[in-house]
Amino acid sequence: MFKKRFLATALSGVLALSALAGCSDKESSKPAGGSKDKKTVELSLMLTPQWKGVMDATEQGADYDSFFKYAADKFSKQYKDYDVKVKVEVVASEQRDELLNVKLNGGTPPDIFFENTFAMGDYAHRGALVPLNDIVDDAAKKDIDQNYWDTVTFGKDIYFYPFSHMPGTFAYNADMLKAAGLEKYIGGENEIKTWTLEEYETILNSLKKDLPKDKYPNAYPMGLYALNNQADTWNLAYLRMFGNQFFDKKGNIVLDDAKGVKAAEWLKKTYDAGLTNPGAESVSSNDVLAMFKNQKIAIAFTNSVLFNNTKAEMEQGKAPKFDIRLANIPSESGDPLTFTYVSGAAVFNTQDETRIKVSKDFVKFFSTDPELVKASKNGVPVRTSVANEFKSQNPLFAAYDKNAQYLFNFTGSVPGYSQLRQVLFPELQALYTGQKSPEQAIKDYQKNGNQVIKDAKENSVIK
Amino acid sequence: MNFNKHALKENLTGYLFIAPQLILFLVFLVYPIIEGIRLSLYRINYTNEVFVGFENYQKLFLNPVFVKSTINTVVFVIFIVALTVIFALFVSAAVFDKNAKYVSFIRGSYYIPVMVSMVVMSMVWSFLLNPANGLIPYIAKQMEMSSINFLGNPKTVLPVIIFVTFATNVGQAIILYIASMIGVPKDLFEAAEVDGASRTTIIFKILIPMVKPTTIYIIIMNIIAVLKIFVVIQLLTGGGPNNASTTLMYFLYNNAFKFNQLGIASAVGVIMFLITLVLSIPQLRAMFKKD
Repeated sequence: MFKKRFLATALSGVLALSALAGCSDKESSKPAGGSKDKKTVELSLMLTPQWKGVMDATEQGADYDSFFKYAADKFSKQYKDYDVKVKVEVVASEQRDELLNVKLNGGTPPDIFFENTFAMGDYAHRGALVPLNDIVDDAAKKDIDQNYWDTVTFGKDIYFYPFSHMPGTFAYNADMLKAAGLEKYIGGENEIKTWTLEEYETILNSLKKDLPKDKYPNAYPMGLYALNNQADTWNLAYLRMFGNQFFDKKGNIVLDDAKGVKAAEWLKKTYDAGLTNPGAESVSSNDVLAMFKNQKIAIAFTNSVLFNNTKAEMEQGKAPKFDIRLANIPSESGDPLTFTYVSGAAVFNTQDETRIKVSKDFVKFFSTDPELVKASKNGVPVRTSVANEFKSQNPLFAAYDKNAQYLFNFTGSVPGYSQLRQVLFPELQALYTGQKSPEQAIKDYQKNGNQVIKDAKENSVIK
Repeated sequence: MNFNKHALKENLTGYLFIAPQLILFLVFLVYPIIEGIRLSLYRINYTNEVFVGFENYQKLFLNPVFVKSTINTVVFVIFIVALTVIFALFVSAAVFDKNAKYVSFIRGSYYIPVMVSMVVMSMVWSFLLNPANGLIPYIAKQMEMSSINFLGNPKTVLPVIIFVTFATNVGQAIILYIASMIGVPKDLFEAAEVDGASRTTIIFKILIPMVKPTTIYIIIMNIIAVLKIFVVIQLLTGGGPNNASTTLMYFLYNNAFKFNQLGIASAVGVIMFLITLVLSIPQLRAMFKKD
């Protein structure tokens, strides 16, 4: 009887303990794992889809994580202090904030995140990133233009190591323009064509009217989307079409004036005239991109990496082949509207000194290694040395360079930019569905957006 | 005191056996609820937490998107639950006394969508309804109809979501009703038939009253499920157009994970918890009555 009771008690005790077994803490820096006396340090690196392959999308098995896997391997072979293992994970851009917020609130941020820096600035304001001033040397400062350092500097500190940048433009299907009799508006293969707003309207109207329906059934002149915040920078650019400055010197939105309203009216007018795909309020940028690749849209958004990837997909037979070229977003003044995404790595404050140190060393390594920095040619290199080296291979670098004088800072470097993005697309949806007039949509966006900026300023650790 | 000690010793084995469940219950259910209530009273940053009392709740009630989310959630609850109960009762009452194989076929047919992930279902519907490349707008265009965008029209987006959710969930209610109706004593029907009652009278006077506990269960379970409606919103509409289809759960998700407003999100969570608790009281009372 006693034995039976003892057994039952012991068994239930084991059961109770087993319930807690899964709650043990994860070890971050493991002792003596790999070679000899070196400790093993495991890092997690996350990135959103950037370029495919180590150096080129045409490599065998090229994928978004290829570069970082190669860089990690090269880094750990030469790193003397620790055995370094890097777990590389590609996350969808639209899930970045959800994922990072969960990880940050759970106390398990990734060590490194490689992304377009505009989307990550809020994490610096929230105190989640560590400054990288100590890994930026004079040689790097000399090779990378001050403009890019300004983009990644918050307060007095550098929070991202610039790697490449991706200028945003339009991509157009030159075959469709030719088919609609618009030859004279087609630019050179290595040119970023600048149309005036009047010319652009002519192109859209002609595409709608003259595009052969048998060759391009169900095709639309321009891609327009407002389902979510993805690729909203183009929507922000459209709102500047009539000369509105968007932010004032204090970092507040000043869209609600005659120029801002005129831009919203232009969008609504263009949409209502059937010059864009229908249902913009329920269509995402991904949908537009897919339609463009399938020749259902003649003019769509693109950036340098997307442009290269699309071309590579055509070469590999993964997408229908057509003559794809670049154009600028037009404006009333005639000057093109152009912006760029600086991409680079940030190091999260994981509270683990060892991991932070190794992470910084790794970021410095792949951002400065003479072989690895060449991968920045997949976008546009931020390093003058790399840009010069590849100028002859990629003539578009010169075209992007020419465009640089028209660059505008689309984030205004304001805190709370991520949340600010969330208040734009509902207003655009209201505009396209007719729930709000252009005046009302712009007014409400300014009001809600400035509230977001005000709250974020109060909570920012960067003063 | 001695007695308590003795009783504890006597029952130690029992307590240890329930300990795993109790620990999991405390850690994964009770603690998050308490922590959620606590967080709803704070403004939370990555670096600090500041006690703000009921400020988060005040902000919520002044937020038109929250008000819209609450109204939408109530609309979803009323229509989805009503449709589910009425349709499930109709189908079950029509088939429960038929050939067993036929009943199994009906049960299986309606239950298949329940087994399919809501994510997959939402994606299929998205493929059908997407105005840019969806099948329905494409067919409409081929038939020279004007462009159709059910998801982009504030007047049609709610009915579409109600239909999609209803179509996906109704199988569960049909299964429960058929099981319950098969369990109704046959002599009641026989007596009614002898008295010359029509099929309609039998359904309304015998069948529906006899399956009342199942109806209460289905109503409460569906209310709780619909209160948490999220996946279909996230994948089909993203809360749009202009927040026309936002629900409380989607609003909570946005605040917690996109805007990083944990305090606000926790306050929404607490409000939803209270609503669910109030709605669960009839079920809890029924449970304790039996004991």
